[in-house]
Amino acid sequence: MALWFWRGVRRGIVTTRYPARADGSAATLPTPPAFDASQLTPELVQQMIDICPSRALELAEGQLVLDLGRCTACQRCLEVAGPAGHPSQQFELAAHDLGQLRLCFPLEGPK
Amino acid sequence: MTGPLTTEPRRVDLEAVLRELPGSPEPTTQPGALGRRLELAQLKRAAQLLGASRGARLADMFVLPSAPAEAGGDGGLTLHLVFGLDQDRRYLLLQAPLSGRSYAAISEVAPACFVEECEIFELWGIKPTGGHPLNRVLLAPGADSAPPLRSGSPGAPRSRRGVPTEVRAPHVVRGEAFEFPVGPVRGVGQESLYMGLVTTGEEVLDAYLAWFHKHRGIEHQVVGMDPEMALFRVERCEGPGAVGNGLAFARAVESASGIVVPAGAERTRLVALELERLYNHAAAMAALCQSTGLGVGQAQVEIILENFLRLNAAVFGHRYLFGVVAVGGVRRGCDGATLSEGLSALCASVRQIGSALLGTNSFVDRLEAAGVVDAEAAARLGLVGPVARGSGADLDVRRDHPWSAGDSHSGLEVATAVNGDVLSRLQVMLQEVDESERLIHRWVQSGELIDVADALPTPAGPAPERGERRGLGWCESVRGGALSWVQLDHDGKVAGARLRPASVRNWRAFDDALRSRNVFTDVAIIEASFWLTVAGFAR
Repeated sequence: MALWFWRGVRRGIVTTRYPARADGSAATLPTPPAFDASQLTPELVQQMIDICPSRALELAEGQLVLDLGRCTACQRCLEVAGPAGHPSQQFELAAHDLGQLRLCFPLEGPK
Repeated sequence: MTGPLTTEPRRVDLEAVLRELPGSPEPTTQPGALGRRLELAQLKRAAQLLGASRGARLADMFVLPSAPAEAGGDGGLTLHLVFGLDQDRRYLLLQAPLSGRSYAAISEVAPACFVEECEIFELWGIKPTGGHPLNRVLLAPGADSAPPLRSGSPGAPRSRRGVPTEVRAPHVVRGEAFEFPVGPVRGVGQESLYMGLVTTGEEVLDAYLAWFHKHRGIEHQVVGMDPEMALFRVERCEGPGAVGNGLAFARAVESASGIVVPAGAERTRLVALELERLYNHAAAMAALCQSTGLGVGQAQVEIILENFLRLNAAVFGHRYLFGVVAVGGVRRGCDGATLSEGLSALCASVRQIGSALLGTNSFVDRLEAAGVVDAEAAARLGLVGPVARGSGADLDVRRDHPWSAGDSHSGLEVATAVNGDVLSRLQVMLQEVDESERLIHRWVQSGELIDVADALPTPAGPAPERGERRGLGWCESVRGGALSWVQLDHDGKVAGARLRPASVRNWRAFDDALRSRNVFTDVAIIEASFWLTVAGFAR
């Protein structure tokens, strides 16, 4: 067992405070979408709603509502969104209230 | 698990059996698969002939509606049996229309399908006659008065109301023995699984397993969906098997639709499949260290595991490789340079830690002779993957059932071990790490992979015909051969689907392994070495 003792000592710390530093790997991971309201049209929004497999998108009171609690960051919506959408690069999604996870985007695209 | 224990010795040549099979050939254009349509009364005889032959292995059994779902229609049900003809490099699909609520028990002549007979009863309310009492597979105790799980499905308006009590296998603990409950919520971050360990104090004499907490009915959920949307669900039926199950499903759809996947896309998704194998084997090693109390070893393997997951993210954009496979190819390209750079160091770390583990007597002592599954049991139960190979079965779908010219596994050395214990399974996993690394490097060097910056190629193939289409898909997933059967309706939507992750086949040997003279503390070690998922079973 001495082998494992020295292996453990040599490796050193295996836990850190969170977050010890910015996580560089975040740049390569899929993240929920963010939308540019000035590019959103009702037709485009309907296409994105139809393609979302986890039903994270809906049209409510004339706005596109993204429910981050449902979004799996599959990014299918971004494939049809074009310049109207991009990955948010946002990982810190913890919230006290589910309502905080519902993001609203008004439809301000060209008529 | 209670089940029939006898089978005839395998002695008859497969060619002779295929000539003698009852029924008529079913036309199929799918390379690597044969079809045969039989009367229901002929099915048991066919299974008996194949079970007695060399080179035929029961791979799956299921029931699906005979015709695509039509509004208000009921086209009846068909019983399917799938055999892997490994030396012949083909799968054989036997189909027999069901004419009533019962059929002659196939498990009497092919014990490997006993679990499926239980599953068919719970899903469709159709019971094997003259068979053994059925085990609970997907339904909770006390659910017998409810309609079958798929009662709302086309072709299955049946009910199990009034099921006689003798249908269910007795759950009996007598004498000095008592049942020690473990789960469904367990101490370590594992899935919901109830294990009733029957014991008189230390040795596991018997075990009752219950998977029903996790059943989600994904095969039923995908009916009526577009195949691409269905694939999203299929990938999520077993998280650490997303590529394997997704690939088998995508191939089934491609086969049904006549889609030809470009060679580069095919290789790219095979890279993802091997990366999935690598991170799962590392995770299994970490679980083995944890279950044997080797904390430093666990921490060090988990660092390697985390680095494998980060490599997945850097190469394919997702830690668990979700969303890589698409119907007709891939959804994402692969960063070959990053892969080449990171893979060798990680695999070297696995080899180094594996060598240290195998040199630690106190670790190896816990693994030797624990959870033994002998070669006869592996063949009788139709086991697959590292569990079967650890029992000496020279079986690997990558070599035995190549999917296409792009599925280039030439020179693959199938790792096997003979003792059938936990140590054998670990040795198989370590050897497979070497093979996966070699394959990935070869494919990267070939320059044929779809790069992350490339436009995704368009699949070729005949224009999809309107009408009912069916296809079988397969691949060697992390846990063994994964199968998928898909029926598409006139609009190209999924009319019926069967998902058969490898976990479905291998769980049936787990309680046998527990009973092979093991004590309580061996249970977690055996579970880690099987490295199965409840989600894959209770999909």
